[in-house]
Amino acid sequence: MSDTDDVAARHGRYDRRELLRKGGVGALTVGLAGSTASKAFGFYGPLRFKGRWLKGDLTIIQWVHFVPAYDTWFDNTWCKQWGEKNDVQVKVDHILNTLLPARAAAEVAAGSGHDLFFQLAPLAQYEDQVIDHKEIVQEVQRKIGKIGALAHKSTYNPRTKKWFAFSDNYVPDPVIWRHDLWNGVGLAPNTWDNVRTAAPKLKAIGHPIGIGMSNELDSNMANIAFLMCFGAFIQNEHQQVTIKSKHTIEALKFMADIYQRGETSEIFGWTPSSNNDFIYAGKGSMILNAISATRTPEDRHLPFADDLWIYPIPKGPHGRYGLEHVMGVYSIWKFAKNKAAAKKFLSDLEINYRQAFLASKFYNFPTFPGALPFNQIQKYARADTHKPRGKYQILTTIAKKYTYNVGYPGFTNAAVSEVFATFLIPQMFAQVAQKKMTAADAASAADQQFKKVFAKWRKAGKI
Amino acid sequence: MSHVTLREKTLSYLIVGPFAIVLAFPFYWMVMMAFKKDADFYNVQNVPFKFNGGPTFANVRLLFHHTKYVNWLINTGEIGVVVVGITLALAVPAGYALARLSGRMGQSLGVGIFLTYLVPPTLLFLPFFALISRLHLQNSIWSLVLVYPSFTVPFSTWLLMGFFKTVPQELEDAARIDGASRLGTLIRVIFPISIPGILTVVIFSFSLVVNEFVYAFVFISSSAHRTVSTGVYTDLIRGDLPEWGAIMVAALIPSIPLALLYNAFLNRFIAGFTGGAFR
Amino acid sequence: MAEAVVEARPRGRRWIDIFERPGFLASVLISPAVVFITALVGAPLALAVYLSFTNSTAGSLHGKFVGLHNFRHEWHEAAFQHAVWHTFLFTVISQAAVLIGAGLLAHALIRPFRGRWILRFLILLPWAAPIALSLMAWTWIFDTTYSVINWTLIHLHLVDPISPPQWLAQPHLAMGSVIFVHAWRILPFATVIFLAGIASIPKEVDDAAAIDGATGLRKFWYVTLPLQLPIATVALLFGIVFTATDMVVVYILTNGGPPPSNSTEQITTWAYKIGIESGSLGEGAAISLFLLPVLATMAVLMLLFARRVEVS
Repeated sequence: MSDTDDVAARHGRYDRRELLRKGGVGALTVGLAGSTASKAFGFYGPLRFKGRWLKGDLTIIQWVHFVPAYDTWFDNTWCKQWGEKNDVQVKVDHILNTLLPARAAAEVAAGSGHDLFFQLAPLAQYEDQVIDHKEIVQEVQRKIGKIGALAHKSTYNPRTKKWFAFSDNYVPDPVIWRHDLWNGVGLAPNTWDNVRTAAPKLKAIGHPIGIGMSNELDSNMANIAFLMCFGAFIQNEHQQVTIKSKHTIEALKFMADIYQRGETSEIFGWTPSSNNDFIYAGKGSMILNAISATRTPEDRHLPFADDLWIYPIPKGPHGRYGLEHVMGVYSIWKFAKNKAAAKKFLSDLEINYRQAFLASKFYNFPTFPGALPFNQIQKYARADTHKPRGKYQILTTIAKKYTYNVGYPGFTNAAVSEVFATFLIPQMFAQVAQKKMTAADAASAADQQFKKVFAKWRKAGKI
Repeated sequence: MSHVTLREKTLSYLIVGPFAIVLAFPFYWMVMMAFKKDADFYNVQNVPFKFNGGPTFANVRLLFHHTKYVNWLINTGEIGVVVVGITLALAVPAGYALARLSGRMGQSLGVGIFLTYLVPPTLLFLPFFALISRLHLQNSIWSLVLVYPSFTVPFSTWLLMGFFKTVPQELEDAARIDGASRLGTLIRVIFPISIPGILTVVIFSFSLVVNEFVYAFVFISSSAHRTVSTGVYTDLIRGDLPEWGAIMVAALIPSIPLALLYNAFLNRFIAGFTGGAFR
Repeated sequence: MAEAVVEARPRGRRWIDIFERPGFLASVLISPAVVFITALVGAPLALAVYLSFTNSTAGSLHGKFVGLHNFRHEWHEAAFQHAVWHTFLFTVISQAAVLIGAGLLAHALIRPFRGRWILRFLILLPWAAPIALSLMAWTWIFDTTYSVINWTLIHLHLVDPISPPQWLAQPHLAMGSVIFVHAWRILPFATVIFLAGIASIPKEVDDAAAIDGATGLRKFWYVTLPLQLPIATVALLFGIVFTATDMVVVYILTNGGPPPSNSTEQITTWAYKIGIESGSLGEGAAISLFLLPVLATMAVLMLLFARRVEVS
């Protein structure tokens, strides 16, 4: 199967050399035509990517994007144009993101499925079923510069030296808070200490804060980031479990305190849309969520839309450590039928990420900073007219300085993915918050659980 | 006599009323959710039991113009009809055989085919999908047509077995005395009487098909080929924002006609049991 | 046609008469169903069993053979043990409720009265709706912010507006909600089966009972109940099986939560989390298969019981 790739690649290079050698009018015409086309569509180099060696179909499956305009752009503009340019029929299927793992398992079981499979988090456990994506990373790096640390740490396995996925985007995870309500209690969620002080006061006026401790994505991200702000980590750089530490205990106690005095029990039953609704109903005064929580009030013209401010994650004793809210991660199965087209599709998508960024209304940030430098993102954000003016600019700061990968300081490996997928961390927090376990016991229990998971994947040779 | 009827009637209302309210309340709620304006829907201060600011058809429009809902309805209908056909073709003879003809071995067989229910589809879907892919049926509604009878047939067989047992043996004996063969009896005598039983199987099988989720979701990935359950669930939930109104419209459209249909069948079905051909 | 067969009999004695033999006819009639199901389900089932004895991961249908390791490992896991208990609890309570409810409803609905048609329509609705979609309605009814139940309770001043009951976020309430929805969706189905059962009681038996002076409760205990037992058993059995092997209800309502006790995690949802979402497929298969012997034994016992109490 990899033979076809090599042949195709060789073919492309041969074409270019041939043309250059023949030189003359032909090359000039093509060059002129190509450069006008490339200006129109933003594709790089017509000669290299003549696309004559690409054929057939390219099937993609990905989530239903929160921003409908992105899907419209992706399906009807981007894929269509790319397909025409590269002589490939592109077909995109969309499904609900929570159902993607089941679909992935089914495709592996059947040994057949989509060429490009999208996940909202890196699923390291599929490493054996996918190709090595290093070619794509190298190609993109050649064009626009190095891959960002977040994507590197999330899609590379240092033990097997394999890139098990290609991430095209990530979504920074800010704090969304009601400025008017916090003003009323004279505080801002700049530090976790402030949050702890403000929470009971906000609850007393009927507008509690909400940090989920439920079996769902938002809770996972919020709780893991919270741990990191206190210097508590799932693992260290050598992929060893370090969850049992005094920092973890401190973090658990801190969060329990916030919950007991300043939150309501609903947070244990939240779904990914619950914290959004919490804000939209006017009840909530702070959540950790992507900017979907500010875009929807804008779209719906809710009365407090202008009072929703965006801040980076509050600062804890160890600093400000946030995670991505979600990450766009594409994998190509070993049994994919059109790997060549899939690889080129991804590299083209990433190189031209400015379009995707805009189509997603600033939701998707490119994982290769070179695709759209931060100062350019800042310019776009500044131009956004929603109030308070320029509120989306902070996203660049968050993306640049405060976004780390799940499993930091180590890599996002299969064991971390399993801890993530079984929601062990929100559960640990819930144990302490509901006084079912002491913080020390909860940390020890988690330590044992994590060690078992890590041992299992270590034995499988993945860590 | 009428005094007894009155007491029985009141008792009936007293029992059925509350059950009907509890069972149907979510559907009243679906109607509310389907036709509420967004501003009303998301406003916690409003009284939720009525339409504040009037109802709206925006969700209906969204469902029909921006999704492939009509395709999903058609797909579900097609699958339902064909699967019911296959189920009847397999279960009617099997049910009759188990009821009348088979004795001991039939008992064990009857229990045996029932055992297929006991492994959850959440495990079976993987090997099933592998099978479907080998047959190149992935992403086709025919994959579901192939797999669904595996859970409609056992139950239908049981139903029909029970039903055929209630058909008096005398009827068959009378026909055979008249010189009909066993096969002939089956076709000319038993079949017409068992229409109510057959209708029941139709209802049960169709409802199992409409409700099925796991296989429908795994075997089919393109929007155009989805069924109602999976299409609505996967296409109308954007990340963390479900399109509640549209989802509820999508839920109501098949439910109400199906409930009406089941209700109508129920009459015939019960009449079949109590009436009988030998009255 | 009957005459034709009679006349043809002397001539067609050789082959068509084979259908006269009950054993042979039975095999011919049963075999399509049996062959179809065995061929279709047999291979995947065997594969699923095989997977449970391997350490396969991430959807791969191949893995290293590890014997009973998965089963032993899960047996000692607290999460699995809880899942077993929850499955048992939910099934038993919801189906007991269904049994009583369906029994009552069927009796009340058997006689015509004004408005019966519309009330029956309302009762049939949960069964007519695709379950995944009616569950979405339930999640909104139980929603943490927008629950209509809470809205009503708050406005009747029965609960604290900031902290109303959380139907899916508080452990025991969540269990109650799941059990309730399980019962809600099976009830119409069971009612219809019960209706069939009552309707199939021959009129002669009814009349005989009346003559003997058995009415009301006595009649129910000595006449109706025994006659309905076989069909009630089958209805109960299917209700139990559909509830125990169901995943959609818990998955959509609570996804096994709320933490930390994960009080609504059933065997099926736990198997899905481990086998599919975490990628440990062999373990997930082992978890799913635990249900099989339990349900099988129960099914056999109940079906034998149904046969025994059958009054011909």
